[in-house]
Amino acid sequence: MTRYVMVADLRRCVGCQTCTAACKEANGTPPGVQWRRVLDLEAGEYPDVSRVFVPTGCQHCDEPPCMEVCPTTATGKRDDGIVTIDYDLCIGCAYCIMACPYEARYKVDERRFAFGAAPTPAERARTAQPIVDVVTKCTFCVDRIDAGLAKGLVPGKDPEATPVCVQSCISGAMRFGDIDDPQSGVSQLLAENRWFRMHESEGTGPGFYYLWDKEAPL
Amino acid sequence: MSGATTTASETRQVPTYCYNCVAGPDLLKVSVHDGVATHVVPDHGATDVHPAHGRPCVKAYGLVQKTYNPHRVLTPMKRTNPRKGRDEDPGFVPISWDEALDIVCAKLVDIRARGLLDEEGLPRVAATFGHGGTPAHYMGTLPAFLSAWGPIDYSFGSGQGVKCVHSEHLYGEFWHRAFTVCADTVATRYIVSFGSNVEVTGGVCAVRRHADARLRGIKRVQIEPHLSPTAACSAEWVPIKPKTDAAFMLAMVHVLLHEAQRERLDLPFLRDRTASPYLVGPGGWYLRDPACGKPLLWDERTAAAVPFDTPGTVPALEGRYTLAEAVTHGPDGEKTHHNRVEGQPAFGEMVDAMRSYTPEWAAAICDVPAATIRRVTLGYLDNACVGETTVVNGKTLPLRPVAVTLGKTVNNGWGAFECVWARTVLATLVGALEVPGGTLGTTVRLNKPHENRLLSVKPGDDGFLATRFNPTDREHWARRPTGRNAHKTLIPIVGNSPWSQALGPTHLAWMFLREAPPDWPKPTHPEIWFAFRTNPSISFWESAQLTATMATMPFVVCFAYTMDETNHMADVLLPDATDLESTQLTRVGGTKFVEQHWHHQGVALRQPAVAPQGEARDFTWISAELARRCGLIEPYTAAINRGAGFSALKGEGADGATWDFSLRPDQVHDVDTVWDAVCKASTAELTGGRDVKDLAWFKEHGWFVVPFERADWYLTPTMQAKGLRYELPYQERLLRTGIELGRRLHEEGIHWWDTQLTEYQAIPQWHDVPAHWDRAVEATGGKVADYPFWAITTKSMPYTTGNNVGIPLMNEVSGNLRGHGAVTMNAGTAARLGIQPGDWVEVRSTSGATVGRAAPIQGCRPDTIVIPGQYAHWKTPVARELQFPSLNAIAPLRAVSLALTDATGSGADVVRVQVRKVDPPAPVPHAAATAVAQGATA
Amino acid sequence: MKQMNAARRQSHWDLRAAGNFVGGGTGCGLVLACALAAAFGRPLAVWPLAVGAACIACGLALVWLEIGKPWRALNVFFHPQTSWMTREGILAGPLLASCGLALWSGQALWLVAAAPLAGGFLYAQARILRAARAIPAWSHKRVVPLIIATGVTEGLGAWLVLAADAAPLFVGAALLAALAREAAREAYRRGLVAARAPQPTLAWFERREVRVLQGLRIAAIALLAAALALESAPPAVFGGALLVLTGWGLKAVLITRAAYTRGAKIPFTPTRGRSEGRAVLPQ
Repeated sequence: MTRYVMVADLRRCVGCQTCTAACKEANGTPPGVQWRRVLDLEAGEYPDVSRVFVPTGCQHCDEPPCMEVCPTTATGKRDDGIVTIDYDLCIGCAYCIMACPYEARYKVDERRFAFGAAPTPAERARTAQPIVDVVTKCTFCVDRIDAGLAKGLVPGKDPEATPVCVQSCISGAMRFGDIDDPQSGVSQLLAENRWFRMHESEGTGPGFYYLWDKEAPL
Repeated sequence: MSGATTTASETRQVPTYCYNCVAGPDLLKVSVHDGVATHVVPDHGATDVHPAHGRPCVKAYGLVQKTYNPHRVLTPMKRTNPRKGRDEDPGFVPISWDEALDIVCAKLVDIRARGLLDEEGLPRVAATFGHGGTPAHYMGTLPAFLSAWGPIDYSFGSGQGVKCVHSEHLYGEFWHRAFTVCADTVATRYIVSFGSNVEVTGGVCAVRRHADARLRGIKRVQIEPHLSPTAACSAEWVPIKPKTDAAFMLAMVHVLLHEAQRERLDLPFLRDRTASPYLVGPGGWYLRDPACGKPLLWDERTAAAVPFDTPGTVPALEGRYTLAEAVTHGPDGEKTHHNRVEGQPAFGEMVDAMRSYTPEWAAAICDVPAATIRRVTLGYLDNACVGETTVVNGKTLPLRPVAVTLGKTVNNGWGAFECVWARTVLATLVGALEVPGGTLGTTVRLNKPHENRLLSVKPGDDGFLATRFNPTDREHWARRPTGRNAHKTLIPIVGNSPWSQALGPTHLAWMFLREAPPDWPKPTHPEIWFAFRTNPSISFWESAQLTATMATMPFVVCFAYTMDETNHMADVLLPDATDLESTQLTRVGGTKFVEQHWHHQGVALRQPAVAPQGEARDFTWISAELARRCGLIEPYTAAINRGAGFSALKGEGADGATWDFSLRPDQVHDVDTVWDAVCKASTAELTGGRDVKDLAWFKEHGWFVVPFERADWYLTPTMQAKGLRYELPYQERLLRTGIELGRRLHEEGIHWWDTQLTEYQAIPQWHDVPAHWDRAVEATGGKVADYPFWAITTKSMPYTTGNNVGIPLMNEVSGNLRGHGAVTMNAGTAARLGIQPGDWVEVRSTSGATVGRAAPIQGCRPDTIVIPGQYAHWKTPVARELQFPSLNAIAPLRAVSLALTDATGSGADVVRVQVRKVDPPAPVPHAAATAVAQGATA
Repeated sequence: MKQMNAARRQSHWDLRAAGNFVGGGTGCGLVLACALAAAFGRPLAVWPLAVGAACIACGLALVWLEIGKPWRALNVFFHPQTSWMTREGILAGPLLASCGLALWSGQALWLVAAAPLAGGFLYAQARILRAARAIPAWSHKRVVPLIIATGVTEGLGAWLVLAADAAPLFVGAALLAALAREAAREAYRRGLVAARAPQPTLAWFERREVRVLQGLRIAAIALLAAALALESAPPAVFGGALLVLTGWGLKAVLITRAAYTRGAKIPFTPTRGRSEGRAVLPQ
């Protein structure tokens, strides 16, 4: 089997938002839509304070709450774990947005552009059909993965077949790969380090792992 | 069309570089679909040579929006309203390039006819470029034109000196060829960082290296008043009171000298590589050999005082010794002969001077527990590995994996001298200066060659590096300033390199233009002022006042991207083809600013990913036009041939191969011809003539590198090979220079630089650094008790330079960062003042006020307010709608600024303020792009 | 150490979405009230049934106006396997049809079909919220009895206003429903506290608007008690109106004001080089 997952090493992440910007530019998402973004969380009380940068986005869950509630079957899940949205089925009810504990989904209801009313040539060139009035989210760059697989490339290893956020990450915090392959980079990272998943007790089975420490030696 | 990797028949990926901030240059590619740039991607082909694996930072991803910004000025424009001021509409109308260049060059030609210097001896032409020299990598062959022109006044800054690591630039380069400094992150194990914010402004190379280091187990202690992203990524955060870092560091020196066992220090390094053993006698001067004048040391082996370079000595570091005779060299050539004179080694002088700076003493000043100061210092010592070695490129070098790094506001302004001295001395005490794991300089700017600082190591006096201070002797001192910031007159250490004037106290030029100190003539205005990639109206202090001063400039030519607060005062606007639209080659790799430490060095091309928008033109074309119309084509082309800004076009390799790609001096050469020659010459130079690549090759591949040995990252081996010592810890030269400068100034009746003269000490002593800012409040009519907070500033990576402030993408992604565009303050303080998150607050100093939304946080000292970035725009599109606050609006640029300027001419972004809740301001209406700026006829 | 609050208010379901729960709740409650009346031998109450059906239809119309692609609305039926929104949609047709047939024929017998369909529709609406796992205030299990209780209460309250029938049967039923609603609401509030719902959500229980609603609910209960004791119609009508309005207010607050996400939470801070990660306590 194949199960693609994202791994974010919180020890590396500096909150620079490079992945946020790279994702937006590569996917041409409209203003306000951030399929990948990095949160800036603070814990503690002065002077004992911690500040943590947390990349987030669609977790491509094992049991996606969004898929459960979607009335149209627009939200689906592939065998390799990637949760997809069929924009042609979606009616834009935003129920999935209300169901996602990770605040990963977005809907815009009018076509707005970075500088206001008119698109730049880059925005004009991005999509033939604007993705408005339906819900969108991180796709794990499924088009790149599929195109890469067709060429015999390995997602998570070959840049061309790997999500853009992973490839743009300047600290090396973002990694991607097949957790069902024990030899993959992500499998090794998870074996060698302590990790958690966000809102684990919700039972969604997220495909997004956060590293926070080395595994304690036995 | 030339292209790069093709993934589909109509899509190509065009390699280029980004050098929008000093942390670069870095590599990237632009994805272009049917002639339209769609997005930026990393250059994965550079994974093995670029320390950040070919990945640019967040700012680079805004370059497509930058290119297609509908607010761009895309045609030359001229002013029709002769009155200038913030509230005057310039009445810009579009004109042709011909007309624009005619207007500008008519003035230039006229100046040439009357003489390049005016009656005061000041250049009639002035130019300002922004952010740390980075505009040079976007201005094509303009440096050749500037060189061909002659004297130009670069002293009107946009923040240089007060918003850069100024004192560290000057003292760092002086002491160890370290214009900028970083830890040897690939090997360091323990870093004590006073506010250096590498996770934000270190660039991609720093971010990657430090992330790797964290996983390796590095420990960094971040000492700063608020919890920056760097503090977040550190093992420990110590919230120090602003501007007290010098006390902390002097206490660290104290602990190493008075509490640690002497044997734990790197005594061989101190004896052989520093001036620690030089004997100091009466007056604080070195005791010198009467015959040869060389400083003496006490040889323990022979129990005698001998010149420092006597072979086979065991120099004493401490003790008091009586010499039969010696001479001292005082100021102005005063040589004094001494009989039976006592002296002690400079090291002993330092031990004495540091005696009272205990951690308990520092704790009260810094508001940091003494135990913390002690623990951090002992951690530094414990990790220093004194005596250990490592092998680098087959050479056995010392391993000292500890470093102390400084950030802005610590290494500029008052207190910076003490801090830079202390961090360098702390390195020498454990032998960690310029060796693997330790504190490294990255590049030079006052010495040459810029691209390899090791080659700039030349022997000077007294066994030290050769330095080129501006002279302070009676005969050669620059009595009359040669530039409007008087750098040669006031700042000996800044020297006289092409960079020196722009480094000099650039705020003084603006201040003096408005109001000069007593007995100092107000400088004349330059007749023509060029500005490129700079917005002093925003990026300098007391913005309102500076804007008003700028309005008095008689003729201003701005290379314009969009309308902004500075070119609002322009007479002519010239739209240059911007980042993704023009051609230039730049050096990459080796070692460079911030943390650009590569295992390779070479060059990278910037090329048009898309055709220039509108009438924007390549800077190389503009420069050639300026040269041609001014009758300067021959000297201009000669300057290109000589390598103004890049490689000389003619050269010879080590094994005798020669090449000559020189351009004919009597012709005007087009953009591609020029850069094709530069490409060939650069690659010939890198390979000794063996491998020459042309422009077409570079358009396909983007960059070319050859190996650069890691061993060349470190200066100490070169110092050792040349038998040179670091001019530390004792600053006899500075002591002498200060006395001479004082004499020169007093001879001219100038006493307003006297406070600055007190900084010229042989061993720094603590003075109440924060009190400077308290006194500034009183000097401007306020009461300190009414201004209880320290306001400082900080950055975020999307906004580490101002040139992308009009890019919506940057604002959008920054919204995820706490405090973006806000006034950040301690949550307890906010609660006490009744301020909720998102409330509008006013931050007021005695110089002005700024308003913004409050962001109460835990990660901030209760007495400190942090205003990130430089905003408060009123003209720049997009930025003007943000309504973000700015420290620049409230930091003074008036007489009191002189009192806040240190001896190197730098100041710091610190000001005492009061805070209160206010009503929200009226929102700024969204402004659509004006057709006129786009080139449509009115 | 405790982490800062990262909860954000949802911004996609506005008063139109709230209107669906308002229309569906009051509407189904009215249908059930009509069925109760018919069960006790009353003739078909035309106005209450018509208004009830209209409420349900209006609610659905408001949702139709809110979705991004209204002309694809029929896609809503594609996922009955798991989606309560699909199930709500599937029930809507037969529910409105049976109400329509009852009104057209004048036969109360059609309420035998309409009543369970209304009960099912109301239940589906409650389950829609329960499955909305982004919003702890909606996905808590006690939201189901709350939504059902308020729907029934609103329906009985609306009956008292529209049917001009203040018989002790209906006043008593409304009073019981109102008390049950109060109990459900308190149990729901305690449930949210125990489940550590987002702080901004919990803060809404202290706000003036919610206190006013609470006061009006108490007033309604008092009026109904008085109406029962005094066998008087006016307090029953006023009390009924208050039952309806407070139910609408509760849903408006629930959907559009107190609906905060849980926000990102990390259980550990990462090590940063040679340092310890720290456990982060749940808020």
